Amino acid sequence: MPGRLAISVLCAALVVAVAPAGAGAVTERASLQASFSPDRLGTPTTIGFGFHLATSEGAAPPPLTSMDLRMPAGMNYTTTTLGLAICQPAVLLAHGLAGCPPNSRLGYGSAVVEVPFGTGDGHEIPEIQAVSGPSPNGNLVVLFYANGETPVYAQLDFSGEVLPDSGAFGSQLSTSVPLVPSVPGGPDVSIVNVQATIGPSHLTYYKHVHGRLVPFHPRGVAVPERCPRGGFPFAAEFTFQDGTSASAQTTVPCPPHRR
Amino acid sequence: MPLIRRRVCVLSAVSALVAVALACPASSPAATGRASGGLSLSDTGRLHLTSHHSFTLNEAGSASGTLSGTIYIHLNVVSTNRVTAEVNLYPRGGSVTGYASASYRSSGGVATFTGTMSVTRGTGRYEHAHGSGLSFTGTIERVNDAITVHVSGGMTT
Repeated sequence: MPGRLAISVLCAALVVAVAPAGAGAVTERASLQASFSPDRLGTPTTIGFGFHLATSEGAAPPPLTSMDLRMPAGMNYTTTTLGLAICQPAVLLAHGLAGCPPNSRLGYGSAVVEVPFGTGDGHEIPEIQAVSGPSPNGNLVVLFYANGETPVYAQLDFSGEVLPDSGAFGSQLSTSVPLVPSVPGGPDVSIVNVQATIGPSHLTYYKHVHGRLVPFHPRGVAVPERCPRGGFPFAAEFTFQDGTSASAQTTVPCPPHRR
Repeated sequence: MPLIRRRVCVLSAVSALVAVALACPASSPAATGRASGGLSLSDTGRLHLTSHHSFTLNEAGSASGTLSGTIYIHLNVVSTNRVTAEVNLYPRGGSVTGYASASYRSSGGVATFTGTMSVTRGTGRYEHAHGSGLSFTGTIERVNDAITVHVSGGMTT
């Protein structure tokens, strides 16, 4: 899992968009990064994404309330075996990842959160888990879970739904982020940075073969078979507690042609 | 899902003769020669993945029900919640081809699809096969992409 220094280096190369706002108003900046691993056309992959949020003054942004991550058209969900099992949100909250079936795991990541009375350095939540949740609308539902205990008590628990999209984007991960108090009864934390993956990297699933439980690596969502000019586009829209928003775009470069 | 094996006659003044023929297992539509008539289809197919290309799963298996035989399905996932399919069924003495469009829902290890199918053509004893609005439903076992499909509704033969 990348450390904060690595995250900073990565963020330096990101495309940054600034949300429009009235004169004199504090604006939020968002930057986005995305990756495919492996990055080969038509090949099942692990999608990596990360974002960094801050005010134009470099302070922690208001608490995040929603995020829509738009992914390029042509991503192939046809043969992915990610999310073969479902984890119930209540079980995840009560028991953490240990309460979820191994075949519900979708990915993992880390986050940096800031509290209003903090030093500005942020507090890293080193482990975020992504699992497949119940799907009332038939779409893939991703449950994100993290349990930060010290020095800030921040239990992150939110879900996103993969919805169809249009144009250059084929799908979007639409996520609602609940407000998280920094301490019981205290002010809400601000999410400053998230790094996460959705895909088979470092995941092991299990299936029954002739009565035995056999481990296997799930197949990820496949990279589109054709790369649009300029690369695979990703975009994200962030909405904050105070009603402001910010957006960011980035691209994953087209992979080199295979000989 | 238990196999559904039943023959259903569509009784009408126009196709009474064909209906009588259908009522007898030994008298399949072939027994009526190339005369056209109505057939109430209710078939279940169980298929396994033979190959996949891009967004298309190519599957083969066997169908049982009104028309029994080998069945092939090319299932194309057109979006995260929509599939289309070409269905080719080869009962004894001919073939039936249909095209389906269905919504697609995935939850855990099983994905389901629900929609309608049109029968567009046939060969042999089913050369006049035609129909629309047939029910097209099924499941996909996501771990191995095995499909169970059920088609039902009226068609002409």
